[in-house]
Amino acid sequence: MGAATPIRHLSARDLEPILAVASKLAAPFDLDTMLGEVVSAARHVLDADRASVWLHDAATDELVLEMSGDLGTVRMPAGKGIAGSCFRHRRLINVADCHADERFDPSMDRRTGYRTRCMLSLPLIDHKDVLVGVLQVLNKASGVFDEDDEALATVLAAQCAVAIQRVRMMEALVDGELLRQELEIARSVQLGTLPATMPAVPGYDVHGRFKPAGLTGGDTFDLQLVDQGLLVVLGDATGHGMGPALTVAQMQAMLRMAFRLGADLDTAFKQVNNLLSETLPADRFICAFIGLLDPGAHCIRFHSGGHGPILVFRAASGDFEVHRPTSFPVAAMRLPELRVAATLEFAPGDVLILISDGLTEYRDPAGEEYGHARIHEVLRQHRGKTTSELADLLLESMHAFARGAPQEDDVTIVLIQREMPRPAAVSSFERSLDSLEAIFGFIAATFASQGIDASLRPPVEFAVEELFTNMVKYGKASEAEVRLGLTRIPGGVEATLIDDDSDPFDINQVPDANVDLPIEQREPGGLGIHLVRRMVDSIEYEYREELRQTRISFRKTLKGPSGPGAAKKGGGHVHD
Amino acid sequence: MFTIENGPDGVVVMAGRLDSGHSASAQSFFDRLRGAVTVDCRGLEYISSAGLGVLLKTQKQLMGSAGKLRLVGVNRHLCDIFRYSGFDQIFEIEPFE
Repeated sequence: MGAATPIRHLSARDLEPILAVASKLAAPFDLDTMLGEVVSAARHVLDADRASVWLHDAATDELVLEMSGDLGTVRMPAGKGIAGSCFRHRRLINVADCHADERFDPSMDRRTGYRTRCMLSLPLIDHKDVLVGVLQVLNKASGVFDEDDEALATVLAAQCAVAIQRVRMMEALVDGELLRQELEIARSVQLGTLPATMPAVPGYDVHGRFKPAGLTGGDTFDLQLVDQGLLVVLGDATGHGMGPALTVAQMQAMLRMAFRLGADLDTAFKQVNNLLSETLPADRFICAFIGLLDPGAHCIRFHSGGHGPILVFRAASGDFEVHRPTSFPVAAMRLPELRVAATLEFAPGDVLILISDGLTEYRDPAGEEYGHARIHEVLRQHRGKTTSELADLLLESMHAFARGAPQEDDVTIVLIQREMPRPAAVSSFERSLDSLEAIFGFIAATFASQGIDASLRPPVEFAVEELFTNMVKYGKASEAEVRLGLTRIPGGVEATLIDDDSDPFDINQVPDANVDLPIEQREPGGLGIHLVRRMVDSIEYEYREELRQTRISFRKTLKGPSGPGAAKKGGGHVHD
Repeated sequence: MFTIENGPDGVVVMAGRLDSGHSASAQSFFDRLRGAVTVDCRGLEYISSAGLGVLLKTQKQLMGSAGKLRLVGVNRHLCDIFRYSGFDQIFEIEPFE
C-alpha cells in the first residue's frame, strides 16, 4: 500500500480489521452514512468509547460537527480547541487527561453530559493532501491511547479522509454531464472485458452473469479456457465510478495475459497483485477469486484475495460448504510470500458458487440485506438446473426481495457445476422399417425429457435411421429386436444401437461414396454411412462374437466438427 | 407422416418425412412423371438416404425425357445433406428463404 509512514508496531492481526474497514468505506455511501461508518470503524479499531468527525467548512473556515439525535450541529472557528489545534498544525494530538489540558473546551461535555477522559485527535488528510477535517477518538476502554494506537489511528485516518473526500466530490459531481460521460467510457471498457460466450468444458456446466448497477460499480468475472485449465475469476474493486471499472478491466487483462504466457496459478496471482499494488492508489484494491479448474481431475485450485464466503453446494448431502478467503485483497499490499493455494474437489452435481457482495448486501426498502440464506434456498430448491437457469433464478429472487429498492452495486454471479452422469433412455424396436415412426417418436420424447438441444435432432434421426435400416436389411432372418439408447452428454447426445443377433460388419471399414461423379455414373444407395460420418462427431463400432452382438455408438454435439451451420464440403475425397 | 401430391401450377408438393418406410410410395409417384418437374419442399422436414435414392433415380428417368427435377424451399438441414452427398451438383436446389 502507499502509506508512507512505516508502522513499527502494526501486526498482521491488526491489518485484517483495517482492511475490513477500508472495504466498508469503499461502499457507495452518502456523506451521513459514510461519517457513521468512519465513527464506528474508529471505535472498533481503537477499542474506544466514542468517536466524532469534525468537517472543515472552507466557506466560513469553521469546523462542523453533526451530533447524533436532537443535539444538532456544533460549529467552531477552525483554530479553536484541541480539534482546532490539530487541524491548524496538521498533527496528531494525544491527550491523556483532557480536563488538565488548557486547549480543551469543557462546554461540549457540559452540553452532552459526557465526561471526556483521554482523547486522540487526527487530521484527516486525503491522498491529494487536502485537509478534510479532524477525527477525534475518545476514552479508550482500558487506560490511555498509546503509540500503537497512534499508528493504527494514522492508517485509519488516511483511509477515512480519502473516503470522505470521495463521497463529497461524488455528491458534488455526480449530476455533472462531464462525469457521466467519463463514467460511461470507463463502464464500456469494463463491460468489454467480460467473456462474450461461455466456454464448453467437458463434464461441466459453467456460467457467469454480470448485472451492472447504473453507471457505477467495479465487478468483473472471467471464464476462459487456457492451457492450464479453465480460468475462473470473480472480482470486485473497491469504490465506484471510473477508477474501479478501469481497475478490474486492468486486472482482467493482466490475468489473461499471465495465464496465456503459461504462468502457474501462484505466480500469476502474486505478480498481478504486486504490480497492481504498486500502481493503484492506496485506497483501491480488488476482492478477487482467481482459480484454475482441472476438469479431468475434477478439482479447482484457487487463491481468493478478500473474496468470500466461497460457497460449495454438495449434491450428495444437499449441504453447503463455506470457504474463507486465502489472502488479502488483490493490490492491498505487496505479497512477498503466498500461502499455498486452496483446492476444492467436485463430485458429480456439486456447484461452486461465487457471488459479489452486490447481491448479498442488496437492501430491501426496510434496510434488510439479501444475505446468504436466500442463495442457499434457491440452490437447494432448484438442484439439477443448469447454471444459466440458476443465475436467472438468483436474479429473480433478488428482484422479488428488493421490492423496487434500487440496485446500488454491481451483481456478479459465477457458477461452476460438475454434471451428473445421466442415465440413458433405452427402448427396443421390432426389426422392421415400420418401426421408424416409433423410433422417431422415442427420439423426440427423449430429447424433450433430457433437455437435449433440439437443433441436433435431424442429424441424430438421420444417423439412427441409417444404422437401423442397415440392421434391418442385413438381419432379415432374425427375430431379435434392436435396442436404441440415448444419453445426454455435455453439449449434445450419445446414441447407441445394439443388435443382439448379427454378423460382424464394421461400418468404419465402409468406404466413402464418390459424390463428385457425374449423374450418369451415380447409383442410388451407398450414401447412408457416408452421410452419417459427416453428420456426427464420432462413431464407434464394437462386435462381441460370443453374443453375436453389434454395438454402434455415435456422439453428436453442438461443438462437433459438423455441428449446425458448419460449412463443410460434402465432396467425397476418398474415391472408391 | 409423409405426403406427396400434385399442387397448383403443375408443382409437386412433398411434405413430412421421406424416410425408408415411405420411399416406395414416393418412388411410385415420381415414376409417373415426365419432363421438367418442380418439387415444393417447404413442408419436407426430413430425408434419409433411401429418399435420396428416390430423387436420384427420378432425376435419371426424367433426363431420359429431356427433363429434370428442381427442388425449391429446401430447409437448412436438408441442404446440408444434399451438399454432403454431392446432390447440389446434380440437382437445381433453392434453399428455403
